[in-house]
Amino acid sequence: MSGYFKELISGTYSLAVGLGITIKYFTQPVVTMQYPMEHVKMTPRYRGHIELVRDEETGASKCIVCGMCQKSCPSGCITVAGKKPEGSKKKVLTTYRLDFTKCSLCGLCVESCKPGALDFSKDYNLASPRKEDYIFDLLKRLEEKS
Amino acid sequence: MSVFAESQTQETFVVNLGPQHPATHGVLRVKLTMDGEYIDRAEPILGYIHRMHEKNAEVGTWAQFMPNTGRMDYLHALAYNFGYSIAVERAAGIEVPERAEYIRVITCELNRISSHLLWFGAFVLDLGGFTPLLYAFDDREQLLDLLETVTGSRLTYCYYRFGGLYNDIDENFVDGSRAFIKRLRSRMPMYHNLVTKNIILMKRLIDIGPISAEMCRKYGATGPVLRGSGINFDVRKNEPYSVYPELDFDVPVYSECDCMARYMVRMDEIDQSMRIIEQALDKLPDGPIKPEKVPKLIKPPKGDYYAAVEAARGTFSIRLVSDGTNKPYRLKLRSPTFSNLSLYEEASKGMLLADALALMGSLDLVIPEIDR
Amino acid sequence: MSLAKVREALAALVAASQEELPPEEAIESVTEETPEAAAPEGEQAEEAAAPPPPLVDTNHAKKGFHLDVTVAPDQVVQAAEILDGEKYTIEAVTGVDWIKEEQMEVVYDYCDTADFSRVVIRARIPRATPELPTISRVFPGADWHERETHDFFGITFVGHPDLSPLLLPEDADYHPLLKDFTA
Repeated sequence: MSGYFKELISGTYSLAVGLGITIKYFTQPVVTMQYPMEHVKMTPRYRGHIELVRDEETGASKCIVCGMCQKSCPSGCITVAGKKPEGSKKKVLTTYRLDFTKCSLCGLCVESCKPGALDFSKDYNLASPRKEDYIFDLLKRLEEKS
Repeated sequence: MSVFAESQTQETFVVNLGPQHPATHGVLRVKLTMDGEYIDRAEPILGYIHRMHEKNAEVGTWAQFMPNTGRMDYLHALAYNFGYSIAVERAAGIEVPERAEYIRVITCELNRISSHLLWFGAFVLDLGGFTPLLYAFDDREQLLDLLETVTGSRLTYCYYRFGGLYNDIDENFVDGSRAFIKRLRSRMPMYHNLVTKNIILMKRLIDIGPISAEMCRKYGATGPVLRGSGINFDVRKNEPYSVYPELDFDVPVYSECDCMARYMVRMDEIDQSMRIIEQALDKLPDGPIKPEKVPKLIKPPKGDYYAAVEAARGTFSIRLVSDGTNKPYRLKLRSPTFSNLSLYEEASKGMLLADALALMGSLDLVIPEIDR
Repeated sequence: MSLAKVREALAALVAASQEELPPEEAIESVTEETPEAAAPEGEQAEEAAAPPPPLVDTNHAKKGFHLDVTVAPDQVVQAAEILDGEKYTIEAVTGVDWIKEEQMEVVYDYCDTADFSRVVIRARIPRATPELPTISRVFPGADWHERETHDFFGITFVGHPDLSPLLLPEDADYHPLLKDFTA
């Protein structure tokens, strides 16, 4: 019988302690961010979808159309095409399409890119009800950014 | 005939728990045959998010499977990265630089803490307490921010590479980890005061859901479930990998076999993980994070290889069969919760439904890992 | 210590199977050799001509397990009983499809949690009739693993209480991990 009352008292005490903790937290400042009003700044290594890097000298993409990114992609979401302009030895990028619906943001393409023509963007507010909106033409994006 | 008279018969009825039910943490369905409030038979039905990772592995190269490993146990993804890296490194004979090993241990243990914190919140939520979840998420959020600064992602990490890491950590991360550990240390007593010592939680967990050591052995249960049944088995100690032998930590073992024991094992593991991280940060050597020569195309010699790591839920192991080409011939993923859940049918027999949910919570299920 | 005991018992088991079936063994090796002699790849033929011994002490640091035992398909239950007697736990049951050799391999991973060691038991069965006895009576935990193996490979575990699909859809009649499976 004494055990019963002991438990009753210690149990009530434990509840009071817990309540004390929650009351203490009630008076403390808010830790959450008010999302649509405030925005989180992405860390430098944040992996968004990939984008092409501009070559500062020429103003065009650094891509040499080697196709390594396309080969390394586990989900096959990259399509690269290029052609040799007449009189030039180097290929020039003509299409760079990313099917973002399949991309798993693993970063294997960025690692495989020797000339450093790929980088992660910091976009994270991507939302659309249409699938086609996620098939990115990265070359067009690069041109639009300039 | 009145309703009461009908209930006097020995009839059982079937209740579907899930696949969309908050207590099943994902899409697990449990077909319960109930005798009143008591469970006659609980049959887990799996496969709602089966993605056939093992076949996926066979179509891509060795490196291309790495992102998939982060998508099985989404709460302790780095342990899966770790297990796969170790398996392939063992098969292909790749040496890992010491700095990379230390960083792997640090990040893996940080991830383990975040996994246990989420489990803690969700488990108490299953039992009817909402507040601890928010506190646990507050801490976990800091941890995810920290891991994001090095890995670039918040949940489905793909950070380890064969022979090393994706990129190096910096001073900010080291300082941030130390600050986080200091903060979590100061908050652990609060968690214990708020939850562990709470009379309602004690009543819901003590002597509920017994899983004996023998049952664990027969079903192959591992991790906190096994250690909550009094068996001292932790892959980090018993089959040491990476730099764990150089770090001093204890394996928490409780022999009560009930839900409380499993709860306590996980809470103590958070403390031990903090100890490991602190030591690893102190010992962190300088040097490269990738070996000087990483073969571009990995072609492990013919044969099969086995590697096991201690994930937050138990022993995660990988069996590789290589035929000497650049693609895995067969890759078996042994997920801990698959075995842990298989004992649920036997363990929950004759339990009250509410208690069986406590038992399910104490198994710490992550469904994508069971279904793979 | 239990590893040594298990090794002894399993060695006896393997030896018993080889004594029992000398004619069949001889026939098998003959049938295996004839197509290999015709095969152009000399290196592969050589490797296959000398099958690995049924009981191998493996280097744990290199392979990840301590003992690798190949038993006859009807001996898997006996092997499970030996390991059960030494308090081993079942880690996984899985299959490998060796399509070139017209065989399927069933692999059982056992682990001793008290005195750490890992033992692998394998059995090879013909690919056309993949059948072998269930060990779910010895280790109830093998139940789900065997069901999963049945899902993925179509291997029938004789005596298994319920081989309905576990991870695949309930009406699935395909076995995705077979090498000749196409979606």
